[in-house]
Amino acid sequence: MIDFFIGLFLASLIVALFTTRLYRLLLWYSLNSLMLGVLALSIGRSIDDNAMVITGIVTIVIKAIGIPYVLKNLSQKFHFVRQITPEIKVQYAIMLVPAILVFTFYLSEPIVHMIHTNANYVAISISSLFLSLLLMMEHKNVAPKIIGFLAMENSLFLLGVTATDGMPMLVELGIFFDLLMAIVVINLLFHKEELRV
Amino acid sequence: MMLSLLLLPAFIMFGVSFIKKTKAKYLLAFTSFLILLPIVKLFLLPKPYNILGSYLIADKLDTYVLLVSSIVGIGVTLALLTLDKHVKVSPNAYRRFYRFFAIFWVGLIFSMLSNHMGIYWIGLELATLSTVYMIKTNYTPAAHKEAWNYMIVGAIAISLVLFGIILMYASAKPILGEDAMNFDLLLAHAKDIPSPFLFEMGFAITTLGMFIKMGFFPMNLWLANIERASFYPVAALFSGILESAVVIGFFRFSKIAMEVNYNHLFIFVFVYTILTIFIVAFLIYRAKDFMRLFSLSGVEHMALIVMFWVSGAPFAALLHFGAHAFLKPALFLSTGVLESNGKYKIAGALRGYKGFKGGVFWFLVSLFLLAIISLPPSPMFFSELYGFGAMITTAKESDHMLAMIAAVLFLLVLLSIIFYRFVAIYQSMKYEGEESEKEVYSSELFALVIFAISLVGLLLPQTLDYLRSIS
Repeated sequence: MIDFFIGLFLASLIVALFTTRLYRLLLWYSLNSLMLGVLALSIGRSIDDNAMVITGIVTIVIKAIGIPYVLKNLSQKFHFVRQITPEIKVQYAIMLVPAILVFTFYLSEPIVHMIHTNANYVAISISSLFLSLLLMMEHKNVAPKIIGFLAMENSLFLLGVTATDGMPMLVELGIFFDLLMAIVVINLLFHKEELRV
Repeated sequence: MMLSLLLLPAFIMFGVSFIKKTKAKYLLAFTSFLILLPIVKLFLLPKPYNILGSYLIADKLDTYVLLVSSIVGIGVTLALLTLDKHVKVSPNAYRRFYRFFAIFWVGLIFSMLSNHMGIYWIGLELATLSTVYMIKTNYTPAAHKEAWNYMIVGAIAISLVLFGIILMYASAKPILGEDAMNFDLLLAHAKDIPSPFLFEMGFAITTLGMFIKMGFFPMNLWLANIERASFYPVAALFSGILESAVVIGFFRFSKIAMEVNYNHLFIFVFVYTILTIFIVAFLIYRAKDFMRLFSLSGVEHMALIVMFWVSGAPFAALLHFGAHAFLKPALFLSTGVLESNGKYKIAGALRGYKGFKGGVFWFLVSLFLLAIISLPPSPMFFSELYGFGAMITTAKESDHMLAMIAAVLFLLVLLSIIFYRFVAIYQSMKYEGEESEKEVYSSELFALVIFAISLVGLLLPQTLDYLRSIS
C-alpha cells in the first residue's frame, strides 16, 4: 500500500511539471501533499509512531487543504496569470523527467545500501527534490515557482519520513511553522505598495 | 528565564512597531539597546550554560557571535533613525522593517544558541524569511524583483541545508536515536557513526546550502544584487548578522565532520573557497559602486573565515569573523552618505565633509577602508597572519607542504588584486572628483563610532585570550 501512495506522490509531481493552468497546478500540489500525509499516516501506523501520525494529519490539513486554498485566494486577489506555459518544451521535458529519475536512482545507490528501511523511497525523495527544482526553473511566473518551492518542502519531508522513520516532533512542527511564515511573506510580497512619504 | 530575557526586546520591538506616532522610531532604536543587556549577562555566566534543556546551550563560541551580532544590530538601528534623510522611505515601510527585524532577531537567537540541528535550521529559516520582506521595504521594481529572487535562492539554499541535516540525522540515528540531532552528542560519537559516507554526503549538501547563503561561487552574484537593490541598513544586517548565523552553523557542523574524516572536509572546503576568492577577486576589480564592492569583499572575507577554520586556525577565523562583522556593516552604513551624489560617483566621495561631524565621518570611513585591506594594526592583518601561519603549520604535519605553500602564494596574489582595487578606490574618493558639501547626521556617526570602538576592542588582550579559549 505504501508503494502505491509513494507512486502517486511521484506521479502527481511529474504531472505538475506538464501542467499549463495555475489552478490545475494547485490541484496537483494538493494531491502531492495528500499522498505525503497519507504516507506519513501509513508508515506511522505501521511502526506505531504517534508523532508521525499527528504529522500526517497536520500535513493533510495544512499542505493538502490550507495552502492550496490560500494560494487560490491570493491568485484571485492579485489577478495572477493563470496560463502558465513551461519554458521547457513538452518533448524535451518527457525525456528529461526519466533521465532525472534514472540519474537520482544511480546517485543515491550508495546511500540506499546504508538505509535498511524503505531504502528505495530515499531515491524517490531525492528525485522529487530534483523534479521540484525543475518545476521552479521551467516557469517564468512567480506562482509556479512558489509551488515548486512548496513541492521541494514535500520532497524533504518525504526524505525525513522514509530515511529516518520520522524526525523529532519538535522539528517537524517547526518546519510547519516556517512554512506558514513563508506563506505570510509570500502574501506580503504580492502587495505592490505605493511610496507615500 | 534567560530565554525570556533574550526574547523580550524582540517582542517589545514587535509591539512598538505597531505604534504610528513619529516618536516611536526613537523607542524602537532604544529597544535594540535592550538586546545587549541579557547578552552581556550571558557573557558573564559560566559556560556552557543551559538555556533550554539540551536544545539551547550558550557556550563561548555562540555567546561571542551573539555579542558581535547585537552590537551590529544596535549600530543598524541607530543608522535607521536617519534613513529617511538619505532615501525615500514611507513610515509604514519603516515600521514594518522593525516588525520583521524583531522576527529576524528571534530566529537568530534560536539558530545561534541551538545545540540541535533541527532548531538551528528552524531559526535560520525564520531569519531568512523575515529578511525577504526587509528587502521589499524599498518600494522600487528592482527591490521587488530582488526580494523574489532572494525568496527563491534562499528557499533553495535552506532546503539544501535541511536535506543535508536529514541525511546526517539518518546516519547517526541507529546509535543515538532521536538525540542524533544534538550537536554535542554527535561530536562525542562522531567516530562511532555507522555510515560515515552518509554523514559526509549530508555534510557536503548542508555546506553547499550554507555556501549559497554566503554568496560563494557559483552563486556569487545574488548577494551583491540584493544588497544593491535594498536599503543600505538591510545590506548591513545581511553582512553583519545573517551571515554570522550561517557561519556559526558551519563551525558546528564542520567540527563533527572533522572528527569523521578531516581530509575529505579539508579538500572539499579548501578547493571551494579558493575558487570563490579567485572569482570574487576579479569581480571586485571590476566593481563600480560601493555596495557591490563591499558586498563582494564580504564574500571574500567569509571564504577566508571558512578556510582558516578548516585549516586548523579557529582563532584566526574568529578574529577575522569579528573584524568582518564590524567593518562591513560600518561601511554599508556609510554608503548612505558616500552615495549622496549618486551610486556610481566614487571619485570625490570622501571630499566635502565640513565641521566636526564631517571630519569624524571622513576619518572613520578612511579608517574602515584601510582596515579592510589589512593594514596593521587592523584585526584583519593579525587574523590573516595567524591564518596563513596556521595553514603552513597544518601542512607541515601532512604530505602536502608544497601544495599548501603554492595555495598560500596564490591566495596572496588574489588578495593583492583586491587590496590594489581598494587602495585605488580610496585614492579616487580622496583626491579625484569634485568637492560638494554632504551632510552627516549624529545617529549614523554614533553608529560608526560604536563599530570603531568594537574593532579596537577586538585587539584587547582580554578579547584575544577569550578567542584563544574558544579555539
